[in-house]
Amino acid sequence: MRVLKITAMAALLVLAASVAFAGPTYDRVMSTKVIKAGLSNQGIPFGFINDKNEWVGFDVDMATEIAKRLGCKLEKVVVNNNTRISFVQTNPPKVDMVLSNMTHKRVRDEKIDFSITYFFDGQKFLARKGAVKDVKDLANMKIGSMQGTTSIVNAKAYLQELGNPNPQVTGYDGEVAMFEALNSGRVQAISTDSTLLLGYAAKVPGKYELVGDFISDEPYGIGLPQDDSAWRDTINFTLQDIWKDGTYKKIYDKWFGPNSDYPFPLTSKIEMWP
Amino acid sequence: MFKRYFEKIWVQNVTLLVLTALMVYYFAFVFEFKYDFDWAVFTHKGQYGHMGLLMLEGLNTTLTITLYSSIIALAMGTVFGLARLSKFKPVYWFATCYVELFRNTPLLIQLFFWNFALPYAFPEDLRLKLFDMHFEFWCATVGCGIFTGAFMAEIIRAGIQSIPKGLLEASYSSGLTFSQTLRKVILPLAFREIIPPLGSEFLNNMKNTSLAMTIGVTELCWSMTEVYSLTYRTFEAFSVATLVYLAMSLAIAGILYIVNERLKIMSPDRTTPLRRVADILFWPLDFLGRKLEYVFWYFRKSPDQRTISPLRQSLRVVGKQTILSLKILFVATLAYVLYEVGTAVYHFNWEIIWANLKTLLIWRFPDGDDTEFFLGLGGLAGSLLMAVISIVGSFLIGLVLGMGRTAKNRVFRIPSLLYIEIIRGIPLILVILWFYQAILPVVFKVDLDAFWAATIALTFFFGAYIAETVRGGIENIPSGQVEAAKASGLTYFQTMRKIILPQALKQMLPALVGMFIADFKDTSLAYIIGVMELTRAAYAVNNRIMVHPFEIYTTVAVLYFVFSYFMSLYAKRLERKLSPEAMRIEM
Repeated sequence: MRVLKITAMAALLVLAASVAFAGPTYDRVMSTKVIKAGLSNQGIPFGFINDKNEWVGFDVDMATEIAKRLGCKLEKVVVNNNTRISFVQTNPPKVDMVLSNMTHKRVRDEKIDFSITYFFDGQKFLARKGAVKDVKDLANMKIGSMQGTTSIVNAKAYLQELGNPNPQVTGYDGEVAMFEALNSGRVQAISTDSTLLLGYAAKVPGKYELVGDFISDEPYGIGLPQDDSAWRDTINFTLQDIWKDGTYKKIYDKWFGPNSDYPFPLTSKIEMWP
Repeated sequence: MFKRYFEKIWVQNVTLLVLTALMVYYFAFVFEFKYDFDWAVFTHKGQYGHMGLLMLEGLNTTLTITLYSSIIALAMGTVFGLARLSKFKPVYWFATCYVELFRNTPLLIQLFFWNFALPYAFPEDLRLKLFDMHFEFWCATVGCGIFTGAFMAEIIRAGIQSIPKGLLEASYSSGLTFSQTLRKVILPLAFREIIPPLGSEFLNNMKNTSLAMTIGVTELCWSMTEVYSLTYRTFEAFSVATLVYLAMSLAIAGILYIVNERLKIMSPDRTTPLRRVADILFWPLDFLGRKLEYVFWYFRKSPDQRTISPLRQSLRVVGKQTILSLKILFVATLAYVLYEVGTAVYHFNWEIIWANLKTLLIWRFPDGDDTEFFLGLGGLAGSLLMAVISIVGSFLIGLVLGMGRTAKNRVFRIPSLLYIEIIRGIPLILVILWFYQAILPVVFKVDLDAFWAATIALTFFFGAYIAETVRGGIENIPSGQVEAAKASGLTYFQTMRKIILPQALKQMLPALVGMFIADFKDTSLAYIIGVMELTRAAYAVNNRIMVHPFEIYTTVAVLYFVFSYFMSLYAKRLERKLSPEAMRIEM
């Protein structure tokens, strides 16, 4: 009998666990008034831990602003390059939106949805000052990039175009390891989105420089659960509102303005719907 | 009546079959995965290349690292295991430091230290030369080798010490020389004792190589993460990697089983078929051994040689002096190394350490957001909390599974066995990823903080290990006691509760403390899913400061070490208290 009782209890527990709520993100967010946002915590200046152990950055500010405008509480969840897509892909999604300097790509859009572009970047190379006279020099250098990103794929393709059939590109675990590889000399250049590179180059002022042109377009979008248009509209409208009343510019200048640590002029405009 | 039927083998088999069928039915028809499996990602070339090939390359690297690091570990283990028995104190101290230092810090921290901090100890030219030679790969290989070597050293030392003193006395008094005693008595006996634990170290070493991914080595786990972050096929990537690791574990276990069979003492007329297979496989080694013995026979000293020739005498003197000078050289080198370490520590940027110590200890505890885990508790305190919760949980799991594994009834034994063997065959890093990204959110549809996901994963992982400890404890109880309990009318559970478990638990105590240490060290792996425990906190601090990796990783290693070491001292004291007959032999 005892065994039976235990079995019944176990079965009940499993049942109770599987009755967790599921449903369109919009309804859930509006009823619970909590937005779970996936953010990176090691990508300067998009999401990182500052010297007061606070989690800050451009993406963090954007997420906070969105939550504020929707009248919700923001719950920050750590994502990295490997998890940022799968966390909105699960059902129910582990997070309601992902802001993690993520490029909007067609392949990615097959799995999850994206908001309109909220940041404009492109991939570049960062190398020690004076180490690269000509872009062609890069072809035979050892290059570091990040695991789980398309940067590594782009960099390989670019170096092949420059004439090295077998380029040496190492994928490190995150931004920190990648920059450490450059700083300690185990690679001669690193390559990813230029703002990230700027963020780390500012750690050691005057030692490193961006080289060459943008090798790819990296329009960042907010990753959203697939096929949830009410939620996607809400995010898009909020983004446009943030842009319209100048809050976007304020957040942008805080992180990338001329007086910031990582100046990066704003050249494009967010897509505005009349 | 029900009970009597349940004792029949066929009823048990049927029950198992029905349970399996129910599981299959549930997951195939009732349960909604809401996930389309697409195994074609491994067979077709996609936009980012051929993922199957990527996995194969990863497997190749994993095997290479495993092989090299096993050889390094065995060499280190033998040398330091013998050194731990040395009468020459500096050698003994040095070996002890090595063993304690590397056993009581997490492998992940060691790898980070070798990879991020060590290169800065070299002058720039040398450093750049090192980086030209697959630095990360060798870093991981040697790092794993040194780590596993520390465990092997202890096993080898214990194996040699386990030989009863009486046997040695007997062999000396029957006229065997030291080398003969070593060859004929000590080594064969020690090996029999050593092989099973040594084997599980080889297995652990294979699983530990999965940590190499954190420093950018493209091994199997790295390939797996690359696959799921490029194709977003989480389940497929996890499953393939898990199956490959399980297959490798099984292969290693199989090899060890055969070796074990070969070493068993059995009479020649009653050999099992497996023994015959083992004999055939080991024939080349046996052949070599016999030939060597033959050669040695001709080089033996004749027993009637009582006087020593002048040449031999001078050789002996030279030999003695060489040993003396080697000893002096060793002490000098040791002093020099100590001096270097001392100056390095003296020149540490202590301000940096002081400024970040609070962060490393409790992260941002009282000031954290209310959405963070327990007001932002993390760092060392977070790691300890995680270890305490998970070890308590895994003790319960281990108790149930350990009893299940020793049960006669197949319905309990086989599922327990499967659970234990499967979990023990997978690297912890994979178990954590499974729980955080697949099992909890998709199968159980619960959404937990990364801290809890990691704690649950650790609980289930260590449950399997503790189950083995429990099984050992239960099997150590003389069977007469069980029979006596049965005869006096106690039921199975009463016997367990009142007789077996109290005794078994007492015996298991040191091993359980050891498990707690292992658990505490392995909380470092929760770093991979972003839990702000000690390792992740160190990573964040290093991310911010960038230029003082030496200081930060040393501090973290010391923090881990202090806790683990004092726990292991406690375990040793317990062990001595519970088995006072253990003693030390010297060589």
